[in-house]
Amino acid sequence: MKNAVISCLHANLAAVKAVLNDIDQQGIDHITCLGDLVGYGPQPNEVVELIRKRAIDTCQGCWDEDIIEGLNACECSYPSQLAEKRGHLAHEWTAEQLTDENKNFLAGLPTSIRRDRILFVHGSPNSQHEYLLPDMNAFAALERVEKAGADILFCGHTHQPYVRELKNGSIRVRLKNTSQNNAEEKEMNLPMRKIVNAGSVGEPRHGSTNATYVIHDDITEEIEIREVTYDVNQTCTAIIEAGLPQIFAWRLSHGFEFAEQAEDASHVCER
Amino acid sequence: MSKAWLISGSPGCGKTTWILKAMKAHQGSCGYLRLTNSPTNELAQLPQTEIDYTFLKDQIPHLQNLSGFHKVVTSQNDDLLVFIELPVLQAHTDQSTFEIYSRIKNQLESLGLYPEKHLHFGREPELPSQDILEFTKLESCSHELLGKVWDPQSLNTFWFELVNGAYGDVYRAKALMNLPDGQSIFFNWIISQECSQFLPLRTISPPNGRPERTSELVIQGIGLNCTRIQSTIDLCLLNNAILEMHQLPLRDRHSEAIQAI
Repeated sequence: MKNAVISCLHANLAAVKAVLNDIDQQGIDHITCLGDLVGYGPQPNEVVELIRKRAIDTCQGCWDEDIIEGLNACECSYPSQLAEKRGHLAHEWTAEQLTDENKNFLAGLPTSIRRDRILFVHGSPNSQHEYLLPDMNAFAALERVEKAGADILFCGHTHQPYVRELKNGSIRVRLKNTSQNNAEEKEMNLPMRKIVNAGSVGEPRHGSTNATYVIHDDITEEIEIREVTYDVNQTCTAIIEAGLPQIFAWRLSHGFEFAEQAEDASHVCER
Repeated sequence: MSKAWLISGSPGCGKTTWILKAMKAHQGSCGYLRLTNSPTNELAQLPQTEIDYTFLKDQIPHLQNLSGFHKVVTSQNDDLLVFIELPVLQAHTDQSTFEIYSRIKNQLESLGLYPEKHLHFGREPELPSQDILEFTKLESCSHELLGKVWDPQSLNTFWFELVNGAYGDVYRAKALMNLPDGQSIFFNWIISQECSQFLPLRTISPPNGRPERTSELVIQGIGLNCTRIQSTIDLCLLNNAILEMHQLPLRDRHSEAIQAI
């Protein structure tokens, strides 16, 4: 059976509709959403209501969490003062717009969804705020998947889609046995694991303005990253009309690969 | 006896870089004058700036600044070579070169400067030509940043947005920006280049509050939204409390290093 995984919708209704339409056209009826339904974009209520109406299994993203919990304790999510101040502007605007019913929906979302040996999270199994970047240290990446007891980990948050296979590895460990005063070497074969990042529906940053999502065939184990065109100008116009910072529209209309990253992207907020 | 060379060319064509090389090659002392005041409409579009002089002075510590100078004293400066930098919008024609010189002749003579050479980018084959652009109309934004200190990551984002067109079609941008660790970075970009040039100045201020050296941003292009540029700058600058948070550990390290000596 084929499953679609979408992430980082960011209140971009035109993009969400285009992606859901693409999924429907392929006859896929099971969709999992990895969160960040709101933030930066101009239609937070419309997007949340569409996800609710379609009864899409959804886990909570960092924006969904912050809009409920407030931003006070997590300034470490932002890689720069500029990003933080702009994030706060978007946060205040979104918090004002969202209905209580939609806020309650976001508050009730789980932080992860598990189906057997497949785990779905927004950032990482540790936190909605942790970035699993494609070039993250392989051992650390494997640790995230293995500790979560998963064979495949689906995540988002980076806005850059990728499939990373961690395979054919081994670790050689030298163990010192103090009681016998000798050292013993052990070689362990590492299990094959996958990290699949669904990219972003509503705020792509992969060098194109196209929305991205992934399709996973749980019989063949094939994973396909799909790109979907949508009316970017429509969303950009709505951003400006809503009074959100114009730079959000500019960023969306370019889909630059450039994105600010914290000095330590894998830093885990301890709030 | 002192000599003067007039160097003219369009914004971003490489005048300052060429002047720096020539200054380094000159055995004697050097002076510098940037002409921007002109009754013509053309030059009125080019902002006055201390960026070039500050950058050159950092590289050539004994450089004499002749801006605002009443008259060059020649008797005590026998080996003085004065570089007069003149930004112009049009590419070279014989007519334009003649007009340029006639326009500034009186101004130079009042300063006691009689250029023995006029090198114009686009005319002289020995001058670099890859960044010569012809402008018919050019808007400018100038942002005074004296005493302002940037959050480094925010500065990185702002510059990326600026040169990629987030605030209008930028053809040319240059700046001197202060960082909390006391560094000042010379930012230089022209549309004909793929990448920006980032050169840290040799002179570093102590991490002790706000530096009092030149810090400016000058942008030239079309359809520039100077108000939005200023709004973004305001979001990037450090307040006193955050600046102190950056500088306190640097001062502690500095004190420890002195004690160790």
